[in-house]
Amino acid sequence: YSFSVEGDAIKVYVRVRPPSEGPALADGDQALCLSVLSATTIRLHSKPEPKIFTFDYVANMETTQESVFSSVAKNIVQSCMNGYNGTIFAYGQTGSGKTFTMMGPSDSDNFTHSLRGVIPRSFEYLFFLIEREKEKAGSGKSFLCKCSFIEIYNEQIFDLLDPASAGLLLREHIKKGVFVDGAVEQVLSSAAEACQVLTTGWRNRRVASTSMNRESSRSHAVFTITVESMEKNNEVVNIRSSLLNLVDLAGSERQKDTHTEGLRLKEAGNINRSLSCLGLVITALVDVGNGKQRHICYRDSKLTFLLRDSLGGNAKTSIIANVHPGSRCFGETLSTLNFAQRAKLIKNKAVVNEDTQGNVS
Amino acid sequence: AAAGGSGWVEVCEKFRTARTLSAVESRKDPETEPYRSKYSARALLQEVKQQLSAAEEGGEARLLAVRRAVLEYELGVNHTDTEELSAGEEHLQRCTQLLEPHRLSPDCVSLYIQAQNNLGILWSERDEIKTAQTYLESAEALYNQYMKEDGNPPLDPSEHFMAEEEKLTDQERSKRFEKAYTHTLYYLAQVYQHLEMIEKAAQYCHTTLKRQLEYCGYYPVEWALNAATLSQYYLSKQCFMEARHCLAAASVIFSQAGQVPSAEDNEAEQDQQYLCQRKAEIARFWIKYCLNLLQSARKLLEDNIGELDPDRQLELKAQRKKEEDEKEKGRKKAVLFGTSDICDSVLAMEEKVSSVYPLDFQEAREIFLVGQNYVQEAKEFFQVDGYVSDHIEIVQDHSALFKVLAFFEEDYERRCKMHKRRIDMLEPIYADLNPQYYLLISRQLQFELANTFYEMMDLKVAIGNRLEELDSHTIKKINSLAQLAIKYYELFLDSLRNPDKVFPEELGEDVLRPAMVAKFHIARLYGKLITSDRKKQLENMQTSLEYYMFLVDYCEKYPSAVRAIETELELSKEMVGLLPARMERLRAKIYPFI
Repeated sequence: YSFSVEGDAIKVYVRVRPPSEGPALADGDQALCLSVLSATTIRLHSKPEPKIFTFDYVANMETTQESVFSSVAKNIVQSCMNGYNGTIFAYGQTGSGKTFTMMGPSDSDNFTHSLRGVIPRSFEYLFFLIEREKEKAGSGKSFLCKCSFIEIYNEQIFDLLDPASAGLLLREHIKKGVFVDGAVEQVLSSAAEACQVLTTGWRNRRVASTSMNRESSRSHAVFTITVESMEKNNEVVNIRSSLLNLVDLAGSERQKDTHTEGLRLKEAGNINRSLSCLGLVITALVDVGNGKQRHICYRDSKLTFLLRDSLGGNAKTSIIANVHPGSRCFGETLSTLNFAQRAKLIKNKAVVNEDTQGNVS
Repeated sequence: AAAGGSGWVEVCEKFRTARTLSAVESRKDPETEPYRSKYSARALLQEVKQQLSAAEEGGEARLLAVRRAVLEYELGVNHTDTEELSAGEEHLQRCTQLLEPHRLSPDCVSLYIQAQNNLGILWSERDEIKTAQTYLESAEALYNQYMKEDGNPPLDPSEHFMAEEEKLTDQERSKRFEKAYTHTLYYLAQVYQHLEMIEKAAQYCHTTLKRQLEYCGYYPVEWALNAATLSQYYLSKQCFMEARHCLAAASVIFSQAGQVPSAEDNEAEQDQQYLCQRKAEIARFWIKYCLNLLQSARKLLEDNIGELDPDRQLELKAQRKKEEDEKEKGRKKAVLFGTSDICDSVLAMEEKVSSVYPLDFQEAREIFLVGQNYVQEAKEFFQVDGYVSDHIEIVQDHSALFKVLAFFEEDYERRCKMHKRRIDMLEPIYADLNPQYYLLISRQLQFELANTFYEMMDLKVAIGNRLEELDSHTIKKINSLAQLAIKYYELFLDSLRNPDKVFPEELGEDVLRPAMVAKFHIARLYGKLITSDRKKQLENMQTSLEYYMFLVDYCEKYPSAVRAIETELELSKEMVGLLPARMERLRAKIYPFI
């Protein structure tokens, strides 16, 4: 029997983007704040001592999109076919290459591009696996794929597949878990179709960012595919369903505007000036009480609520931490690496979802 | 002089524009130029400063100094807002230096306090909380001194750049002054929190809430939720009187929020939804209050095997008579919310539930019933369809209320029925719940159901022991309850298995204790199963032994686990020593000739 707990912990990958081209290159190689030592370690040139970080996988500047996909996503898409939920996050400051990693080059809506990112490649692989399964199992097995695409900005949820809608609510279902009430679900029959939906949604995101003055760097985008398989074995029908969440997180850099209300209390010692955040201060006092019965109602953010299965819950989860190697980004890079280090400590427990219904005929 | 004349009008206009730019326009600045309006405001302020200097000769020195102090203050805040802390500090320091001689006079005190507030913020941004603390505490002291020595509504800083006819009313002045001081207290609350002076932080949060109420600077719903949240702090400190006061005030103020008329449009419906949710949240805070009060009382009253200790009960009753509420009257003055009419409503609300430990079933039941009413209220909004985890949490609280009430119930049959109620509310939810999404809750329910059946079985055994002889009905009942307990413990243990159905070699920290307790209880349950079939009995003993062995073996392999389950391990070791001999004797009876 197996002793391994592999697959339980969240996998953390770090990808280092090349420094921006053009004038920034003038700084020369000396201006880099880190170096990749091996496929799992990275050295940050911090002072006085350099700091070594270890991750599940470190992609250096030369690593191709294809190989990032193979190490980060392939396994998760495969598990998704076997009934596990899976989530892939991209994390990092604005300009660190999150969108490039997840989507591909920003000027191209064309996902046949050789530099296409993790998301379009996941689509291709998913449908490749579905076709293969279908061929193997014959008419006994069928699949249904649906997707939704939402954006979370300022604690509000927008449907990118229905730009006319605004302010959707998160709800829970005792069988299906957390869902966005009223989000459009589109049936998918091929990778090309999925890419089409993604492109449309992504465009909506950009339109929205100009029309309502929300910057894409401050919104999270969550693309969710539901894969449902049905297998008939004599009189018994096995239904499996699983979710694949592909998440492009908002930029991790600290907010410039110190007056922004309603945001989390700053870490360390900073004082929040807005009286309307009094509740957050009080909540912090209550959290200290240990092991007692208590109720808190200011806690959940929309994103963590939606994805709470993926964080210390019930799914296979990967985080890609994107960093910019430039020395100007030292502070943000350090905080990204620290975040990634902490993320490794989160353990996930994946359980196969198998619902056996007897005698359907 | 600078006062009067068209030059002065222009100066005032510039000052006003700078303030608008800083407070209003800056919010619309684009991401790429986040401080555009702040920079424009700064330029204007500097112009004003120069114009003031130009007009300096012949002016009244004190008046000029105060006006300059206002500008230094505005510039200081402007620089800290734009992340130029050192420059900001310089300006703010200059402001306080200019004001130092006049800080207790009505035209300066408010500005001086606000400058110190901002110095406090500035130092907190440098992570020098102790320094921040000194500024804020000195602002606090100045306020108190001023109120004691003068107390007239002081000038608002902005008035120094206003035409005579625009000057504020006393009422408005007082409002702004008190607001600045409320901020001082709120910042102090945070400083104390960061310094881990939690009690003091809570006290300052409490005072902030109190002042918001006094000076009408609050949104009812927000205020109510903050007060209700604060009650949870007091609960963790076992201060039930304070907790109840916060909750009663929360309920009273919440009812001011006003019901939105049921309109057709979507927005009103959303507001209504929001209000309903908040109302339900407050009900949930109340549930926790009742639960904590009952549970704390149980802790006081239970003996070493978790039963009600009648001696202790008498002792506490006598003690309560003596103390009356002498002690509480003193404490109460310090924490009371609101002025007369609000206060009356709050007191009326408080009377509906006790804040002293219940000492017998009757008293416990009254608190239980209040809690149960809030359970119903909370469930009205948090329905399972749409709010699965909230709903289940409320049901779990309901079950916990029954559990603690059962402690006070002396009649075993009735106590058993209370546990049955818990089963009836938990079992159907568990059956519906999809563990793929609710693994943690699912485990909690499995464990709680198992424990409840276990407790019921124990009660049935105790009832049976009073009889001359166990009747077949009781035996059947005991066995079926034991089987059900085993079933749910096993379901819990199964949930720990990996996808290939293998039980983990080493248990995670979060599940170690429950898993061990489950194993231990299963071992005991197999020992309790009653059967006249000796072979079956032997089998049960064997199973029991295996489960006890698991604990012993596991702890041998992972000694760090011992800490979590010391008592259970000790008993298991004992059983592992005893059982084989017992089994041997039984075997000898079954097979006498072997």
